[in-house]
Amino acid sequence: MPGDPARILANEGMLPKEAVDTLVRTFNLDRPYHEQLVSYLVNAFRGDFGFSYKYYPTTVMELLLTRLPWTILLLGLATITTSIFGIVIGLVCAWKRESKTDVAALSVSIFIWAIPYFWLAMVLLYLFGYIFPIFPLGHGVTVGARHGGFVEYLGDVLWHLALPVIAITLTGYASYSLITRNTMIETLAEDYVLTAEAKGLSERQVLLRHAARNALLPLVTMIALRLGFIVSGAIFTETVFSYPGVGLLIYESIMYQDFPVLQGAFFILSVTVIVANLTADVLYSILDPRIKYR
Amino acid sequence: MFKGISQSEILRAVVATKKGKIGLTLVFFFIFMAIFADLLSPYNPFDRVGPPFAAPSTKHPLGLNDIGQDLLSELIHGARVSLLVGFAAASVRTLIGLLVGLMAGYFGGALDDWTMRFVDVLLILPSLPLMILLAAYVGQSIWNIILIISLLGWPGLARLVRSQTLTLRERPYVEAARSMGITNLSIVFTVIFPNMFPLVLANTVLDIMGAILSEAGLSFLGLGDPTHKSWGMMLYYAQQRNAFFQHLWYWIAFPGLCITLIGLGFALVGMTLDEVANPRLRRRV
Repeated sequence: MPGDPARILANEGMLPKEAVDTLVRTFNLDRPYHEQLVSYLVNAFRGDFGFSYKYYPTTVMELLLTRLPWTILLLGLATITTSIFGIVIGLVCAWKRESKTDVAALSVSIFIWAIPYFWLAMVLLYLFGYIFPIFPLGHGVTVGARHGGFVEYLGDVLWHLALPVIAITLTGYASYSLITRNTMIETLAEDYVLTAEAKGLSERQVLLRHAARNALLPLVTMIALRLGFIVSGAIFTETVFSYPGVGLLIYESIMYQDFPVLQGAFFILSVTVIVANLTADVLYSILDPRIKYR
Repeated sequence: MFKGISQSEILRAVVATKKGKIGLTLVFFFIFMAIFADLLSPYNPFDRVGPPFAAPSTKHPLGLNDIGQDLLSELIHGARVSLLVGFAAASVRTLIGLLVGLMAGYFGGALDDWTMRFVDVLLILPSLPLMILLAAYVGQSIWNIILIISLLGWPGLARLVRSQTLTLRERPYVEAARSMGITNLSIVFTVIFPNMFPLVLANTVLDIMGAILSEAGLSFLGLGDPTHKSWGMMLYYAQQRNAFFQHLWYWIAFPGLCITLIGLGFALVGMTLDEVANPRLRRRV
């Protein structure tokens, strides 16, 4: 381990030995590892993740609770925009299959997909925060500003969210649109689409009311599976934009070797992903009447 | 040996498509850059050749970084790190994924059940945060990075290999081989594996891209190996030294562009291979 927690806490020799010993005992650092693991897990269940090393005596839980809403806001918004943008492009490509639009859109998507998202975030920040200062240079709200009311506050927050959300959307939409396109193409080849066309329905009606609804089911699964990616993206995005979320907390705790925070943040992040996946599973069973959970 | 598609056919198929050509060109460009890095770069990237943050000049086309090292030389040497990590991590991942998938798929039973459960858990957890956590704990060395990236990426391939194994296991020639007395282990490696080779290859190439991006990401967060010049680390220092506000945009632009292009190269080659190997993706009749 890159640093004995007790030593870090004791600021490398600035505390007298008795104080260090007391600290070690308080944090159970002198008990064998497996005991530490058990006590950690038990405490975690009760919501007690211990104290932050850097921001002592703030508890890890307090830090997490302040940061979590921001991250959820960012991730929630980003998931929605990425899904919608990706699905729409996928649908358009599927309908205009093999046409110039299709090929062009796909090539652009693949190129953007290859870009490392933190780099894209930096480039966007530079272009639209510095050169053409349309968006703010970072953080969740304008530092030190006083807001007239909740609506103004909300507006400021959204203005700050714009670039991060755009960054995550651009890097993430490609896989959504690719999967949507392929699923749609398969669906469009099914017999009931032919029937719908034979019935004389307009193109749009066939596309939206018949084909899309059936293609939507695998898309829900896809969105659920991609949640992990969006969470990973959040860490980088928050770091580049200094956005006060759990991602930035993770970055900071790495810098300062604040292990309790790192572990706690991680725990929360994993729990969020698992809960989201569970929700998606339930949603899937509701959407598809053919599936029944025993 | 039974092979679905021969190796020369695969290569021909890749070169035939536009995607494949572009991809291969990019890949070979960077491999060339990596192998001949010492010859191509004007200076040794570890040497301090001038004042920090010097602007681009004829002697230093990209200027100097925060310690006074030539940025262009750093850029050229970065290819080595990316390719090293990419190939190494992808190989280890493929190896583990193959072994797990083949064993689980062929022998089935309790081994299969428990292994797949473990694989599912790994698949659900977001891998990048886990990598970050591990990297923060084990210390900054390039071999640690490679190890971490490999250990967290193999479940995808394991699933794929396992489902392929399940299908291939029922083929008549497998039964024939068994009745001839060939041992199970031998069947797995000499009969079943060669038939899924193109699919595994496609996956490995895409894995290389993933590994390169993961390394770039970890380095960007400061978890990379400071003794190796990597594009991700260049971006890390650029971010730390606020390159933007010093108009050193090229410090950020070029490493990022390189990561993109090398990733794109492997992605294109991988996708083309996938099209060739995966019958479901071929043009529908």
